[in-house]
Amino acid sequence: MSALSRDQLRTMMGDVLEAQGKTIPSSDDSPLDEIGFRSLDFSELALRVEDELGSELNFDAPGLRAIETVGDVLEFLEQLQLA
Amino acid sequence: MSEPLGPIPAATCVLVSGGSRGLGLALVTDALARGANVATFARTVTPELKELALQHPTSLHVGSVDVTDTAGLTAFIRESAAKLGPIDALVNNAAIGQDSLHIHTSPEQIAALVATNLTAPLLLTRAVLRHIMARGGRGRIVMVTSVCAQRGYSGLVAYSATKGGLDSAVRTLAREMHGRVLINSVAPGFFASEMSSVLGPDQLETITRRTPSGRLVEPENILPVVRSLLFEDTNFNGQVLTVDGGSSI
Ligand SMILES: NC(=O)c1ccc[n+]([C@@H]2O[C@H](COP(=O)([O-])OP(=O)(O)OC[C@H]3O[C@@H](n4cnc5c(N)ncnc54)[C@H](OP(=O)(O)O)[C@@H]3O)[C@@H](O)[C@H]2O)c1
Repeated sequence: MSALSRDQLRTMMGDVLEAQGKTIPSSDDSPLDEIGFRSLDFSELALRVEDELGSELNFDAPGLRAIETVGDVLEFLEQLQLA
Repeated sequence: MSEPLGPIPAATCVLVSGGSRGLGLALVTDALARGANVATFARTVTPELKELALQHPTSLHVGSVDVTDTAGLTAFIRESAAKLGPIDALVNNAAIGQDSLHIHTSPEQIAALVATNLTAPLLLTRAVLRHIMARGGRGRIVMVTSVCAQRGYSGLVAYSATKGGLDSAVRTLAREMHGRVLINSVAPGFFASEMSSVLGPDQLETITRRTPSGRLVEPENILPVVRSLLFEDTNFNGQVLTVDGGSSI
Protein backbone atom coordinates (compact mmCIF):
# COMPACT_ATOMS: atom_id res chain seq x y z
CA MET A 1 0.00 0.00 0.00
CA SER A 2 1.19 3.55 -0.73
CA ALA A 3 2.17 6.02 1.97
CA LEU A 4 -0.59 7.48 4.11
CA SER A 5 -1.28 11.19 3.70
CA ARG A 6 -0.90 13.71 6.48
CA ASP A 7 -4.71 13.94 6.74
CA GLN A 8 -5.00 10.17 7.10
CA LEU A 9 -2.29 10.20 9.78
CA ARG A 10 -4.11 12.97 11.62
CA THR A 11 -7.34 10.96 11.55
CA MET A 12 -5.55 7.90 12.92
CA MET A 13 -3.94 9.98 15.66
CA GLY A 14 -7.43 11.24 16.51
CA ASP A 15 -8.61 7.61 16.77
CA VAL A 16 -5.84 6.77 19.26
CA LEU A 17 -6.77 9.79 21.39
CA GLU A 18 -10.50 9.15 21.08
CA ALA A 19 -10.09 5.63 22.45
CA GLN A 20 -8.76 7.32 25.60
CA GLY A 21 -11.64 9.79 25.76
CA LYS A 22 -9.53 12.65 24.39
CA THR A 23 -9.86 14.77 21.26
CA ILE A 24 -7.16 15.77 18.84
CA PRO A 25 -6.73 19.57 18.78
CA SER A 26 -7.12 21.32 15.46
CA SER A 27 -3.77 23.09 15.65
CA ASP A 28 -0.62 21.25 14.65
CA ASP A 29 1.24 23.41 17.16
CA SER A 30 -0.56 21.87 20.16
CA PRO A 31 1.98 20.43 22.64
CA LEU A 32 1.62 16.69 23.23
CA ASP A 33 2.02 16.96 27.00
CA GLU A 34 -1.05 19.23 27.13
CA ILE A 35 -3.22 16.66 25.35
CA GLY A 36 -1.69 13.69 27.17
CA PHE A 37 -0.24 11.92 24.12
CA ARG A 38 2.64 9.86 25.53
CA SER A 39 5.42 7.90 23.89
CA LEU A 40 3.54 4.60 24.02
CA ASP A 41 0.57 6.35 22.39
CA PHE A 42 2.98 7.24 19.61
CA SER A 43 4.01 3.56 19.47
CA GLU A 44 0.37 2.54 19.17
CA LEU A 45 -0.16 5.02 16.35
CA ALA A 46 2.98 3.82 14.55
CA LEU A 47 1.79 0.21 14.81
CA ARG A 48 -1.64 1.16 13.44
CA VAL A 49 0.10 2.89 10.51
CA GLU A 50 2.21 -0.26 9.97
CA ASP A 51 -1.00 -2.32 9.85
CA GLU A 52 -2.38 -0.04 7.15
CA LEU A 53 0.85 -0.12 5.15
CA GLY A 54 1.44 -3.83 5.62
CA SER A 55 5.10 -3.21 6.45
CA GLU A 56 7.15 -2.33 9.52
CA LEU A 57 8.40 1.19 10.31
CA ASN A 58 11.14 0.61 12.84
CA PHE A 59 12.86 3.58 14.43
CA ASP A 60 15.26 4.59 17.19
CA ALA A 61 14.33 6.48 20.33
CA PRO A 62 16.43 9.66 19.79
CA GLY A 63 14.17 10.84 16.95
CA LEU A 64 11.15 10.35 19.20
CA ARG A 65 12.61 12.53 21.93
CA ALA A 66 12.44 15.55 19.62
CA ILE A 67 8.69 15.13 19.12
CA GLU A 68 6.78 17.80 21.04
CA THR A 69 3.68 18.77 19.06
CA VAL A 70 0.91 17.19 17.00
CA GLY A 71 2.68 18.47 13.88
CA ASP A 72 5.93 16.81 14.97
CA VAL A 73 4.11 13.45 15.24
CA LEU A 74 2.66 13.78 11.75
CA GLU A 75 5.97 14.88 10.26
CA PHE A 76 7.88 12.04 11.95
CA LEU A 77 5.43 9.49 10.54
CA GLU A 78 5.54 11.09 7.09
CA GLN A 79 9.35 10.90 7.11
CA LEU A 80 9.34 7.31 8.36
CA GLN A 81 7.16 6.25 5.46
CA LEU A 82 9.65 7.79 3.03
CA ALA A 83 12.70 6.18 4.65
CA MET B 1 45.67 -36.45 44.02
CA SER B 2 46.81 -33.39 42.08
CA GLU B 3 48.79 -30.67 43.84
CA PRO B 4 46.76 -27.56 44.69
CA LEU B 5 47.47 -24.88 42.10
CA GLY B 6 48.89 -21.53 43.20
CA PRO B 7 47.41 -18.19 42.18
CA ILE B 8 46.81 -17.70 38.49
CA PRO B 9 49.70 -15.52 37.30
CA ALA B 10 49.24 -11.97 36.07
CA ALA B 11 48.38 -11.62 32.40
CA THR B 12 51.33 -11.17 30.07
CA CYS B 13 49.61 -10.98 26.70
CA VAL B 14 46.09 -9.54 26.56
CA LEU B 15 43.64 -9.61 23.68
CA VAL B 16 41.19 -6.69 23.87
CA SER B 17 38.27 -6.65 21.45
CA GLY B 18 37.12 -3.26 20.19
CA GLY B 19 40.24 -1.33 21.19
CA SER B 20 39.92 1.40 18.58
CA ARG B 21 38.15 4.02 20.69
CA GLY B 22 36.20 4.64 23.89
CA LEU B 23 36.78 2.30 26.80
CA GLY B 24 38.56 -0.29 24.62
CA LEU B 25 41.29 2.17 23.58
CA ALA B 26 41.76 3.18 27.24
CA LEU B 27 42.01 -0.50 28.24
CA VAL B 28 44.66 -1.15 25.58
CA THR B 29 46.68 1.89 26.68
CA ASP B 30 46.41 0.85 30.33
CA ALA B 31 47.50 -2.76 29.73
CA LEU B 32 50.50 -1.52 27.71
CA ALA B 33 51.43 0.85 30.56
CA ARG B 34 51.29 -2.15 32.91
CA GLY B 35 53.95 -3.80 30.74
CA ALA B 36 51.76 -6.38 29.01
CA ASN B 37 51.80 -7.22 25.34
CA VAL B 38 48.45 -6.37 23.77
CA ALA B 39 46.56 -7.44 20.66
CA THR B 40 43.45 -5.55 19.67
CA PHE B 41 41.08 -5.24 16.75
CA ALA B 42 38.01 -3.37 15.57
CA ARG B 43 36.30 -3.08 12.21
CA THR B 44 38.04 0.27 11.68
CA VAL B 45 41.51 1.00 13.02
CA THR B 46 41.32 4.63 14.14
CA PRO B 47 44.18 7.16 13.85
CA GLU B 48 44.49 7.05 17.68
CA LEU B 49 45.05 3.30 17.63
CA LYS B 50 47.46 3.55 14.68
CA GLU B 51 49.44 6.16 16.63
CA LEU B 52 49.57 3.88 19.69
CA ALA B 53 50.80 1.01 17.49
CA LEU B 54 53.61 3.24 16.20
CA GLN B 55 54.61 4.02 19.78
CA HIS B 56 54.61 0.30 20.74
CA PRO B 57 55.89 -1.51 17.65
CA THR B 58 56.85 -4.72 19.45
CA SER B 59 54.25 -4.92 22.22
CA LEU B 60 51.04 -3.96 20.39
CA HIS B 61 49.44 -5.84 17.52
CA VAL B 62 46.49 -4.21 15.79
CA GLY B 63 44.11 -5.51 13.15
CA SER B 64 40.93 -4.70 11.31
CA VAL B 65 38.57 -7.59 12.08
CA ASP B 66 34.82 -7.87 12.55
CA VAL B 67 34.17 -9.68 15.83
CA THR B 68 31.39 -11.67 14.15
CA ASP B 69 33.86 -13.08 11.59
CA THR B 70 34.95 -16.32 13.30
CA ALA B 71 37.56 -17.23 10.69
CA GLY B 72 38.98 -13.71 10.82
CA LEU B 73 39.26 -13.96 14.62
CA THR B 74 41.06 -17.31 14.46
CA ALA B 75 43.57 -15.83 12.01
CA PHE B 76 44.00 -12.73 14.19
CA ILE B 77 44.69 -14.82 17.31
CA ARG B 78 47.28 -16.85 15.39
CA GLU B 79 48.96 -13.69 14.00
CA SER B 80 48.95 -12.01 17.42
CA ALA B 81 50.49 -15.01 19.19
CA ALA B 82 53.16 -15.30 16.49
CA LYS B 83 54.15 -11.65 17.05
CA LEU B 84 53.59 -11.25 20.82
CA GLY B 85 53.79 -14.76 22.28
CA PRO B 86 50.93 -16.88 23.67
CA ILE B 87 47.79 -14.98 24.66
CA ASP B 88 46.83 -15.57 28.29
CA ALA B 89 44.09 -13.00 28.81
CA LEU B 90 41.06 -11.64 27.01
CA VAL B 91 38.90 -8.56 27.52
CA ASN B 92 35.62 -8.88 25.65
CA ASN B 93 34.91 -5.19 25.18
CA ALA B 94 33.59 -4.80 21.59
CA ALA B 95 29.85 -4.27 21.44
CA ILE B 96 27.18 -2.28 19.67
CA GLY B 97 24.56 -0.20 21.44
CA GLN B 98 20.82 0.16 21.14
CA ASP B 99 18.35 2.96 21.69
CA SER B 100 14.95 1.80 20.48
CA LEU B 101 11.86 0.32 22.08
CA HIS B 102 11.73 -3.45 21.58
CA ILE B 103 8.49 -3.19 19.59
CA HIS B 104 10.16 -0.79 17.14
CA THR B 105 13.48 -2.64 16.79
CA SER B 106 13.73 -4.65 13.60
CA PRO B 107 14.38 -8.40 13.78
CA GLU B 108 17.60 -7.74 11.82
CA GLN B 109 18.81 -5.24 14.44
CA ILE B 110 18.00 -7.67 17.27
CA ALA B 111 19.93 -10.39 15.44
CA ALA B 112 22.90 -8.04 14.96
CA LEU B 113 22.93 -7.14 18.67
CA VAL B 114 22.90 -10.81 19.68
CA ALA B 115 25.54 -11.72 17.08
CA THR B 116 27.94 -8.94 18.09
CA ASN B 117 27.34 -8.67 21.83
CA LEU B 118 26.65 -12.29 22.82
CA THR B 119 27.54 -14.91 20.20
CA ALA B 120 30.82 -13.26 19.19
CA PRO B 121 32.20 -12.86 22.74
CA LEU B 122 31.23 -16.45 23.54
CA LEU B 123 33.10 -17.67 20.45
CA LEU B 124 36.08 -15.41 21.10
CA THR B 125 36.19 -16.66 24.71
CA ARG B 126 36.08 -20.24 23.45
CA ALA B 127 38.91 -19.58 20.99
CA VAL B 128 41.11 -17.92 23.63
CA LEU B 129 40.39 -20.63 26.22
CA ARG B 130 41.36 -23.29 23.67
CA HIS B 131 44.53 -21.33 22.87
CA ILE B 132 45.41 -21.14 26.59
CA MET B 133 44.56 -24.78 27.36
CA ALA B 134 46.38 -26.22 24.34
CA ARG B 135 49.58 -24.66 25.71
CA GLY B 136 49.00 -25.96 29.24
CA GLY B 137 48.55 -22.36 30.30
CA ARG B 138 46.46 -20.47 32.79
CA GLY B 139 44.77 -17.16 32.24
CA ARG B 140 42.20 -14.48 32.87
CA ILE B 141 39.10 -13.32 31.07
CA VAL B 142 37.05 -10.17 31.60
CA MET B 143 33.69 -9.46 30.01
CA VAL B 144 32.67 -5.81 29.79
CA THR B 145 28.93 -5.99 30.40
CA SER B 146 26.60 -3.30 31.77
CA VAL B 147 24.33 -2.29 34.62
CA CYS B 148 21.58 -2.75 32.05
CA ALA B 149 21.86 -6.48 32.75
CA GLN B 150 20.81 -5.84 36.35
CA ARG B 151 18.24 -3.02 36.11
CA GLY B 152 15.64 -2.07 33.54
CA TYR B 153 16.42 0.78 31.16
CA SER B 154 13.94 1.64 28.42
CA GLY B 155 15.27 1.27 24.88
CA LEU B 156 17.83 -1.41 25.70
CA VAL B 157 15.96 -4.72 25.67
CA ALA B 158 18.10 -6.81 23.30
CA TYR B 159 21.31 -5.08 24.46
CA SER B 160 20.49 -5.88 28.11
CA ALA B 161 19.70 -9.48 27.22
CA THR B 162 23.14 -9.90 25.62
CA LYS B 163 24.93 -8.40 28.62
CA GLY B 164 22.91 -10.53 31.04
CA GLY B 165 23.80 -13.56 28.93
CA LEU B 166 27.50 -12.81 29.36
CA ASP B 167 27.11 -12.28 33.13
CA SER B 168 25.48 -15.71 33.35
CA ALA B 169 28.15 -17.32 31.19
CA VAL B 170 30.86 -15.92 33.46
CA ARG B 171 29.59 -17.88 36.48
CA THR B 172 29.46 -21.17 34.61
CA LEU B 173 32.78 -20.60 32.86
CA ALA B 174 34.44 -19.86 36.19
CA ARG B 175 33.31 -23.30 37.39
CA GLU B 176 34.29 -25.07 34.17
CA MET B 177 37.77 -23.55 34.08
CA HIS B 178 38.48 -24.51 37.69
CA GLY B 179 41.98 -23.51 38.74
CA ARG B 180 43.03 -22.67 35.20
CA VAL B 181 41.29 -19.42 34.26
CA LEU B 182 39.73 -16.58 36.29
CA ILE B 183 36.63 -15.21 34.58
CA ASN B 184 34.73 -12.11 35.69
CA SER B 185 32.47 -9.38 34.36
CA VAL B 186 32.87 -5.66 34.85
CA ALA B 187 29.51 -3.91 34.51
CA PRO B 188 29.84 -0.15 34.00
CA GLY B 189 27.08 2.40 34.37
CA PHE B 190 26.64 4.94 31.57
CA PHE B 191 29.80 6.78 30.55
CA ALA B 192 30.43 9.22 27.72
CA SER B 193 31.47 7.50 24.47
CA GLU B 194 30.33 7.11 20.89
CA MET B 195 27.95 4.38 22.09
CA SER B 196 26.22 6.57 24.67
CA SER B 197 26.28 9.73 22.51
CA VAL B 198 22.58 9.17 21.71
CA LEU B 199 21.74 10.17 25.28
CA GLY B 200 20.58 13.78 25.43
CA PRO B 201 21.75 16.32 28.06
CA ASP B 202 18.45 15.85 29.97
CA GLN B 203 18.98 12.11 30.28
CA LEU B 204 22.60 12.52 31.34
CA GLU B 205 21.50 15.01 33.99
CA THR B 206 18.84 12.58 35.26
CA ILE B 207 21.35 9.71 35.45
CA THR B 208 23.83 11.95 37.29
CA ARG B 209 21.13 13.09 39.74
CA ARG B 210 20.18 9.48 40.47
CA THR B 211 23.78 8.39 41.00
CA PRO B 212 24.65 8.29 44.72
CA SER B 213 28.30 9.22 44.07
CA GLY B 214 27.00 12.37 42.36
CA ARG B 215 28.84 11.88 39.09
CA LEU B 216 28.77 9.77 35.98
CA VAL B 217 31.20 6.92 35.54
CA GLU B 218 34.29 7.63 33.46
CA PRO B 219 36.51 5.09 31.69
CA GLU B 220 39.24 6.05 34.20
CA ASN B 221 37.04 4.54 36.95
CA ILE B 222 36.75 1.24 35.08
CA LEU B 223 40.45 0.87 34.26
CA PRO B 224 41.70 0.01 37.78
CA VAL B 225 38.99 -2.64 38.15
CA VAL B 226 39.87 -4.38 34.88
CA ARG B 227 43.56 -3.92 35.65
CA SER B 228 43.24 -5.72 38.98
CA LEU B 229 41.29 -8.57 37.36
CA LEU B 230 44.03 -8.98 34.77
CA PHE B 231 47.14 -8.41 36.84
CA GLU B 232 46.50 -8.65 40.59
CA ASP B 233 45.98 -11.65 42.85
CA THR B 234 42.43 -10.79 43.95
CA ASN B 235 40.89 -14.28 43.73
CA PHE B 236 37.76 -12.68 42.23
CA ASN B 237 36.16 -15.37 40.09
CA GLY B 238 32.74 -15.72 38.45
CA GLN B 239 31.75 -12.25 39.71
CA VAL B 240 30.06 -9.23 38.21
CA LEU B 241 31.79 -6.08 39.47
CA THR B 242 29.50 -3.10 38.98
CA VAL B 243 31.12 0.29 38.44
CA ASP B 244 28.27 2.77 38.36
CA GLY B 245 28.67 5.22 41.23
CA GLY B 246 25.97 3.27 43.03
CA SER B 247 23.21 4.14 40.53
CA SER B 248 21.91 0.56 40.50
CA ILE B 249 21.66 0.06 44.27
N1 LIG C 1 29.22 3.80 26.95
C1 LIG C 1 28.46 3.36 27.94
O1 LIG C 1 27.67 4.12 28.53
C2 LIG C 1 28.55 1.93 28.38
C3 LIG C 1 27.91 1.55 29.58
C4 LIG C 1 28.00 0.23 30.02
C5 LIG C 1 28.73 -0.68 29.28
N2 LIG C 1 29.34 -0.30 28.14
C6 LIG C 1 30.12 -1.31 27.42
O2 LIG C 1 31.47 -0.89 27.38
C7 LIG C 1 32.10 -1.44 26.22
C8 LIG C 1 32.80 -0.35 25.42
O3 LIG C 1 31.80 0.59 25.03
P1 LIG C 1 32.15 2.07 24.50
O4 LIG C 1 31.13 2.96 25.10
O5 LIG C 1 33.58 2.36 24.64
O6 LIG C 1 31.73 1.87 22.96
P2 LIG C 1 32.27 2.50 21.59
O7 LIG C 1 32.94 3.80 21.84
O8 LIG C 1 31.13 2.44 20.65
O9 LIG C 1 33.40 1.43 21.16
C9 LIG C 1 33.04 0.14 20.79
C10 LIG C 1 34.27 -0.57 20.25
O10 LIG C 1 33.86 -1.88 19.79
C11 LIG C 1 34.21 -2.00 18.40
N3 LIG C 1 33.23 -2.82 17.70
C12 LIG C 1 31.89 -2.65 17.63
N4 LIG C 1 31.36 -3.58 16.82
C13 LIG C 1 32.39 -4.37 16.40
C14 LIG C 1 32.48 -5.47 15.51
N5 LIG C 1 31.40 -5.97 14.89
N6 LIG C 1 33.69 -6.03 15.29
C15 LIG C 1 34.80 -5.53 15.91
N7 LIG C 1 34.77 -4.47 16.74
C16 LIG C 1 33.58 -3.89 16.97
C17 LIG C 1 34.22 -0.56 17.89
O11 LIG C 1 34.99 -0.40 16.70
P3 LIG C 1 34.33 -0.48 15.20
O12 LIG C 1 33.00 0.18 15.29
O13 LIG C 1 35.32 0.20 14.31
O14 LIG C 1 34.23 -1.94 14.89
C18 LIG C 1 34.90 0.13 19.07
O15 LIG C 1 36.28 -0.11 19.05
C19 LIG C 1 30.99 -2.17 25.45
O16 LIG C 1 31.01 -3.54 25.77
C20 LIG C 1 29.72 -1.52 25.99
O17 LIG C 1 28.61 -2.39 25.86
C21 LIG C 1 29.27 0.97 27.67
